[in-house]
Amino acid sequence: MAMSGMAPSAGAGQFQRASFTGSAGEYFGIWIVNVLLTIITLGIYSAWAKVRRNRYFYGNTVILDRAFEYHATGKQIFIGRLIVVGFFIVMNILAVIVPPVAIITPIVLLIALPWLIQRGVRFSARVTSYRNVRFDFVGTAGGAFKAIILGSIIAAITFGILAPVASRWLWRYLFNNFRYGDRKFATEPRLGAIYGVWFLSAAMVVIGTVIVGGIVAVVVAGASAAGEGLAGELEGFNVAAFLGIYAVAIVYFLVYGLAALFYRAGVRNVAWSAATLDGRHELLSDVSRVRYAWIVISNIILTVLTLGLMRPWAAVRMARYVNEHTAIRVNGNIGEVLSSMEASGAAISAEYMDLEGFDFGF
Amino acid sequence: MASDHGIIAKGEWHKANSSQAMEAELREEEGRVTALSDGQVFAFAVLGRVEFSQRVGSIPRRVTFPDGSVFETRDNDAVDAYLRARHGVRSGIIHRLEEFHPRLIVFTIAVILLGMSIYRYALPALVEVAVLVTPPFVPEMIGSGTLASLDRTVLKPSELPEAQQRKFAEGFSKLAARSKGGEAAYKLNFRDGGVIGPNAFALPDGNLILTDDLVKLAGSDEEMVLGVLGHEIAHVEGEHSLRQLYRAAGVAGLVMLIAGDVGSGVEDILTQGGTLLALSYSRSAEAEADRRSVELMNAGGYDPAALARFFAILEDKLGDHGKTNMLSSHPGTPERQQDIRAYAAEIKGRPQP
Repeated sequence: MAMSGMAPSAGAGQFQRASFTGSAGEYFGIWIVNVLLTIITLGIYSAWAKVRRNRYFYGNTVILDRAFEYHATGKQIFIGRLIVVGFFIVMNILAVIVPPVAIITPIVLLIALPWLIQRGVRFSARVTSYRNVRFDFVGTAGGAFKAIILGSIIAAITFGILAPVASRWLWRYLFNNFRYGDRKFATEPRLGAIYGVWFLSAAMVVIGTVIVGGIVAVVVAGASAAGEGLAGELEGFNVAAFLGIYAVAIVYFLVYGLAALFYRAGVRNVAWSAATLDGRHELLSDVSRVRYAWIVISNIILTVLTLGLMRPWAAVRMARYVNEHTAIRVNGNIGEVLSSMEASGAAISAEYMDLEGFDFGF
Repeated sequence: MASDHGIIAKGEWHKANSSQAMEAELREEEGRVTALSDGQVFAFAVLGRVEFSQRVGSIPRRVTFPDGSVFETRDNDAVDAYLRARHGVRSGIIHRLEEFHPRLIVFTIAVILLGMSIYRYALPALVEVAVLVTPPFVPEMIGSGTLASLDRTVLKPSELPEAQQRKFAEGFSKLAARSKGGEAAYKLNFRDGGVIGPNAFALPDGNLILTDDLVKLAGSDEEMVLGVLGHEIAHVEGEHSLRQLYRAAGVAGLVMLIAGDVGSGVEDILTQGGTLLALSYSRSAEAEADRRSVELMNAGGYDPAALARFFAILEDKLGDHGKTNMLSSHPGTPERQQDIRAYAAEIKGRPQP
């Protein structure tokens, strides 16, 4: 009887990289069938499509020779979506009968947002397993309020100067409440390190703003220099304004988008590399900011140019890159990990909160 | 293959809720499925109580026993062969559709054709439904919100003399009185447009904004300004901005629903780009508003083709000789003038309603 422990003895003491074993050709088939069946069933299949997509990506994400598994069912996600759609229909009908409801609904949603986020992250964690052991998330709604709502607000009102503080709150909230079975994750990203990656993005934003400001100045100058005559003024003004709006939009998308991508990748590196599992086993992320941004941008261009047909290829390419730059160093023996959720079955079937966009899957 | 004593596949067995794994094989013996190794049985159950996970690509397959323990194998083909022999072909139908096969080309073509017809027929229908169920205070909220933020940022109070403003307001109410909703549904606002330049635009709540520069551009041709206002009234009448907003939201929503995961970048472009797109009207909305301006001007006793003169000035002064093309949301200016004049001539021939 052969028993395989968690740490492969050969690679002990070294960082073991994750990998992605899926292929664009294989995923294309899954994706196109998802799309086709979603259209034919008037959208109903999209819940099951999500399950197949996530099972494919989780099941091909391999670390220490084992893959992850996604356990949510199409029915769960479908019911969750029905609840959301039902809520909005009821609120809309109420708003017609009692107009003040229209003002109350967004306020209620805003107040409920931290709770929704916390439930969404917990759902994502609980439907994920590795080596037959489920992940869990024990963060609170209050924690989500501080980490996400308050963090966004302070980042916004300080024009991004305090963004690293917000990022630190966010990653600490996610990692420190994350559980693999009975083991804890933890991260203590240093603020200085986050400011280190923040600096480049901040410099890009400042330079971008100067360029945008320059364009606006040129437009205004061009307009007033175009002469006093009405026709001249019009001509100069509109042509310059027209070009100016496009130039501003392009600079905005390029510089600010690029700065955001650099920052996202940089903070991921800092947060993951400061993270541990069980207090001993170290995680690592060494995503190259330039390469990451290039993959995101070229993926967007290819996806749009092919009207989405290259999306499977793009998704696989991204997953492969990110996985290959994520690693774990197992220090000592992990031993037997047990699921911390005793009544895992009941706990999961009661959960329908799957908040899109809060997947930060492993 | 799947005989009574047959081995189904080799893999690993996990105790319930435990990370520990043992090498094991899965067998079917006497109507029971068993996970075992070297004669030691880890788990067993009658056929119907064992759950085989659906195949997705070539990710590991899970076989879950009633006690919560799990047998996992990468040998998908062996499990498929076993299930086929036992239960017929039903179990993996979706996976078989997804397999790399020339059939996928047919699927791709079907998706493209269906996508095009959704865009052509389903999207406009959804937009109409959304417009129908929109309570009236929504356009009011959008309108007053937009006007307030425009006033804070680009617009300045008008410098037009009171008398001139009154003249335009009179003509405007004549047009408004003949449109849907009547005079009370529209309000003309005079503003110094700043960067916006010579322009007039309508907000969904019936607020119209006329910039001083447009009045200056028109010079003594006040009918021309009224023609432009008639055009803007038509945008409100036809709820064009609400339609455009729903259209952009509909495109974003449908793409995200159907494609499932489009990547965060494309998602941003769809939502933010969609909002930008919603600021301009579609070509058909512009053409409709042009025709409506002709009708309103005619009904108000003005020159129905006055709007064409505005486009003539645009063409003259701004060099806008562009022909209509697929990328521009506005029909080419020379073409619009022609259409307006033709329609004006047509409507003049008709008896007044």
